Amino acid sequence: MAVVEAKNVSKLYAVRGIETRALHEVSLAVGAGEFIALAGPSGSGKTTLLNLFGALDAPTAGVVEIDGQDLARLSRAQLAALRLAKLGFVFQAFNLIPVLTARENVEFVMELQGVPAAERRERANAQLAELGIAELAEKRPLEMSGGQQQRVAVARAIVSQPRVVLADEPTANLDSVTAEKLLDQMERLNRERGVTFVFSTHDSRVIERARRVVRLRDGAVVADEHVAP
Amino acid sequence: MRRALADFARALLRASTWRLALRGLGRQPRRSALVIAAVAIGLSGLVFAMALQFGLVFQMAETAIRTEIGDLQVHASDWRESAPLEQRLAQAPALRALRALPLLRGVAPRLRGEGLALSPRASVGVRVLGIDVAREPSVTTLARLVASGAWFGVGERRVVIGEGLARRLRVGLGDKLVLSVQDARGDLTGEAFRVGGLLRPPSRGLDESVVLVRLGEAQCLFGVPGEISELALAVHQAEALEAAKRAAATALGAGARVETWRELQPLLVAMIAMFDQVGWVVYAAIFVAMAFGIANALLMSVFERTREIGVLMAIGMPPARMVAIVVAEALVTVALGVACGFALGFGAVWLVRDGIDLSAWSEGLRSFGVPTRLVPIVRSGDVWSPLWVATATALLASLWPALRAVRTRPAEALRRI
Repeated sequence: MAVVEAKNVSKLYAVRGIETRALHEVSLAVGAGEFIALAGPSGSGKTTLLNLFGALDAPTAGVVEIDGQDLARLSRAQLAALRLAKLGFVFQAFNLIPVLTARENVEFVMELQGVPAAERRERANAQLAELGIAELAEKRPLEMSGGQQQRVAVARAIVSQPRVVLADEPTANLDSVTAEKLLDQMERLNRERGVTFVFSTHDSRVIERARRVVRLRDGAVVADEHVAP
Repeated sequence: MRRALADFARALLRASTWRLALRGLGRQPRRSALVIAAVAIGLSGLVFAMALQFGLVFQMAETAIRTEIGDLQVHASDWRESAPLEQRLAQAPALRALRALPLLRGVAPRLRGEGLALSPRASVGVRVLGIDVAREPSVTTLARLVASGAWFGVGERRVVIGEGLARRLRVGLGDKLVLSVQDARGDLTGEAFRVGGLLRPPSRGLDESVVLVRLGEAQCLFGVPGEISELALAVHQAEALEAAKRAAATALGAGARVETWRELQPLLVAMIAMFDQVGWVVYAAIFVAMAFGIANALLMSVFERTREIGVLMAIGMPPARMVAIVVAEALVTVALGVACGFALGFGAVWLVRDGIDLSAWSEGLRSFGVPTRLVPIVRSGDVWSPLWVATATALLASLWPALRAVRTRPAEALRRI
């Protein structure tokens, strides 16, 4: 069964009375353990699709399911609970909580999950160490480089052991060396821990590493390619 | 709804909610400091003003009770102030009836009448108050208000009058004055007295129009030996006032009417109530202004953090937790403001704990029985009321920004730069 699935999903945005079609009858299923890139030029609808997968937005038409659960039937609080339990997010602009240290940022998701304090500290430290940023644990986001912040964001996204990590242009603000390192770590997490990754990207480095590339154009899927490892 | 409130309460109890709220305040330290300062200044002014206001009202009541009225008064059941001689009580049985009441600290029999005081140079309409010179100090402070001369002294036919009345009659210590009155039978009569002492009372009425006479001499003057107009009573504890009233009424029986100072001075009571109501209006005005300030600061804060709120929602923060963080931020702001406000307000009260000298306006103030030294008094309510009102203000002021935060759609919030 698919971890996340879009069935005939359309999304229209209305800005000052003018409607813009971001997605048009898109159907896509993401299975467990996939390392998939949603590729396409700006405005193709990849971030919109990622937001729908992440229950951050609602489709104008169609159905989005996570583990077979129709998101349209869930309340605001239930959606929050679902995101907390099953999804992890990595954003282009890192989006760490600026008033929390790296460790606190990573711990925060577990705190929301109700993980006991001692266990979440241990898991946060282990996660930061696994991503090679243990020494940054007590630093706040403004004291870190972009690459370091993005690794903390990855740690935050996966520490809660989500079913799927949704990454929106995760390498866009990183230099090539840092981007490669980050992708190495994500690949390793996918390979060793079976974490499902869905990227929205137009970065060729990400697309080259993806084992499945879904290409979008003007809000529609134009290609869905499985790449041999 | 109940579940949402329970989730909110649980979220509010989490340490991390408060940590985020505290750190949230630190993002814009100048703005936070301004809001805290506004709360502190408003509250300190309020605490100081309320302490002065209650001090004023308390002293006015104390002045009335301690210098003339007493805590309770007993009159004949159909006694009227406008005709004080018409209905009288028998002095000895009344005193005997009250002697055994443990709630009473003092009992002072009095005879009230009206008359004309004449000196060689002037005549003034006066109230004649016959008092038991020995018992009166157990109820009122009249004896302590003697500014010159003596509290009657040893000679017979001595009167004690206010300095104001002495000026009006143009008499001094030892001078003679004649009291001309209509006695209980309706006959005109009069007696000559010498001024034995001059009072400096806090109220103009007592100062300019009352002549204190020994009770026995007043009873002779008005032709009512062994009879009195009233008994002024003092209680050991103000809280026992009603109990003492009931006990005195029971002891004296149906022919006597016992009234508390509140019943005797409805104007004063109304004034106290009005002061309290004005206090609440001031409270409301200050806290409404405070609420707008806090709400504005929180709204700005929520607006600036729209993207961050989107992130928090994306990672799965429940709506109740989001509300709790905004509310906690408001509560922390108000708590800091209240702490500073209390420190400033009570500090100011402490600085003037010996009273503020109002003697420059003494003539005007004495007309209202207001003392010339205003001592601030802090009641427990002056501490608790602002705390409750401030907490309610913080909750109300944070409601709007909190709802705005919760209603933010994550995808839209994340698009914000």
